[in-house]
Amino acid sequence: MFDTLMAAPGTGTARPHSGAIVLQTHNLSKRYAQRLAVNNLNLAVRQGEIFGFLGPNGAGKTTTIRMLLGLIAPTAGSVEILGQDLVTQRARILPRVGALIETPALYPYMSGRDNLRAFGFLLGGVPEKRIDAVLEIVGLRARQKDRVRTYSLGMKQRLGVAVALLHDPDVLILDEPANGLDPAGIVEMRDLMHRLTAEGKTILFSSHLLTEVQQICTRVAIINLGQLVTETTVEDLVRGQGEFTVTLERPQEALALIRSQPWGMNARLDTSNALITPAPSGRGRDLILFLSSAGFVPDTVTQTTHDLEQVFLRLTNNGSGDVK
Amino acid sequence: MSIATMYGSTEQLRLRSARPSFAGIVYGEIFKVSRQWLTWVMFVLWLGAMCMPAVFMIAADGTGSALLQTPPGFYYRFMEYDLEVLRAFVGIFLIIVTANVIGLEYQLGTIRIQLARGIGRIQLLSAKLLAIVIIALALFVFDIVLQGLLTLAVAGIVTGNFDTLRTLTPAFWSATEDYMLSTLISMGATILMAACMSVAGRSLSIGLSAALAWFPLDNVGLPLMLVLASKVTHSNFWLNVIYYFLGPNLNGLGAALLPAKAPVKAVLSIFPLPDLTSTHALLVILAYSAVFSVTAFVLTWKRDVKE
Repeated sequence: MFDTLMAAPGTGTARPHSGAIVLQTHNLSKRYAQRLAVNNLNLAVRQGEIFGFLGPNGAGKTTTIRMLLGLIAPTAGSVEILGQDLVTQRARILPRVGALIETPALYPYMSGRDNLRAFGFLLGGVPEKRIDAVLEIVGLRARQKDRVRTYSLGMKQRLGVAVALLHDPDVLILDEPANGLDPAGIVEMRDLMHRLTAEGKTILFSSHLLTEVQQICTRVAIINLGQLVTETTVEDLVRGQGEFTVTLERPQEALALIRSQPWGMNARLDTSNALITPAPSGRGRDLILFLSSAGFVPDTVTQTTHDLEQVFLRLTNNGSGDVK
Repeated sequence: MSIATMYGSTEQLRLRSARPSFAGIVYGEIFKVSRQWLTWVMFVLWLGAMCMPAVFMIAADGTGSALLQTPPGFYYRFMEYDLEVLRAFVGIFLIIVTANVIGLEYQLGTIRIQLARGIGRIQLLSAKLLAIVIIALALFVFDIVLQGLLTLAVAGIVTGNFDTLRTLTPAFWSATEDYMLSTLISMGATILMAACMSVAGRSLSIGLSAALAWFPLDNVGLPLMLVLASKVTHSNFWLNVIYYFLGPNLNGLGAALLPAKAPVKAVLSIFPLPDLTSTHALLVILAYSAVFSVTAFVLTWKRDVKE
């Protein structure tokens, strides 16, 4: 799957400069009766990045994505894609956006190829060669003539991705694209997303597979109860709070020494007897100098990191509670 | 892995600069209808309903004498039968097609893919309706051509020549035109009713059920209750209400359009409206059509798409 290459970028419509903001929301809000599903959301997605959009169930992710695609009208705020306002330039900018929203929506009574033809007609038709290309990209050439009702969930998901890629979009909005894919399919999807961004395409990617998000996203936004909790790089998010993991001899004695220092009161030992400690002035080099001068020469010193799952659960109060 | 171009730069340019295409949407809708087996099953059934009477007429012993004795009466009945079959059958066919073209998109969630391509909601509904109208007109034209051929076949085989066709007067052709017009109006109102139900129901199941239930209720269920109310209260007021129902007006329109021209005026209605005028019928049908259209378009325009 995904062996065939994407069309070369850069022709046709003008592309924004690398790093330019291609998708932005301004105080985006959506209210349903008394419930504020999305509250003053400000997102900025840059060209060429894979932007993870995370949140627990009911956080407002799908509502936001639907507002980005003009399916739901915002109660307040606006959406800008490729530098143009979604409401006034809808017919110009949405053809440049490919989307896979939740479960793939397809015509089960038609073949995979006819599905692509049918969606292609919406924008005046797609060359058969392009249909061949996207079928090759998602690995469905062999089953293109079979009716979609005979496809597995993973195959439908691939066809949904093919539909999103059909018009060679600049921006892709993929809501849970790994749904139903087997491990090999997930790896191939990851590879495809990397290759798409290498071509300058921008991907807004929503997933519950946080390890996937951690592996492929450059930046993430986490929302909870309709509000933005954080928007930052994955690197910053998983980096520990200035803590270091130190392995050395006589860790109990080293711990006692560090705890006697004003900066080391939160130091502790983990289950493997490694020392988890802040550093004087927050710098690893100063920690090594301090320990060495006291006769505790470290074997290893590494900056402590958390996995995205831990960070996500902490920020969203275990995925369901109030924003912390 | 290196990046390669999968198709020519001109095609790529066209693809990347593509915009929502009204003609493309219309074509796509017809394409999707043509891919549904139900479409072709219904088409074959309709062909059967159309052709069987002609086959029976050719096979029956008394057809020749009936045709030779009163050719205009024979052809009138033949024409009326055809247009009534067309109206009834195509009515059901159009309800199913309309529910599929509109309601199925909501049910499958494909409406979100369509709208997320930048297509306007009004543009999408208009294109879908135009596609259904094109299908309806294609069926209508096909029916007229087939009916002409069947008439020639019956006349030629039963009498051995086409002389009886020369007895057809301008009044016959005028009556045929009026009936054809009433059939077209009926088809249009049916499409709008089914579209309204499908949009309001946001699914094939609800849209199809509601649209299929409309005419039995409108033609039989409610009029029956009003007749009973009239009997109980000894008031004609209830009977007059039937004059404002869509189904009875559609059924009576053909007869109302040609009050004195045709020797035969079959009206397929359990509760015929004896005092129905063509103006009244047209106004009632127009009013219903307007309500159906406005409802369908406003709901499509204003509602969030959560499918």
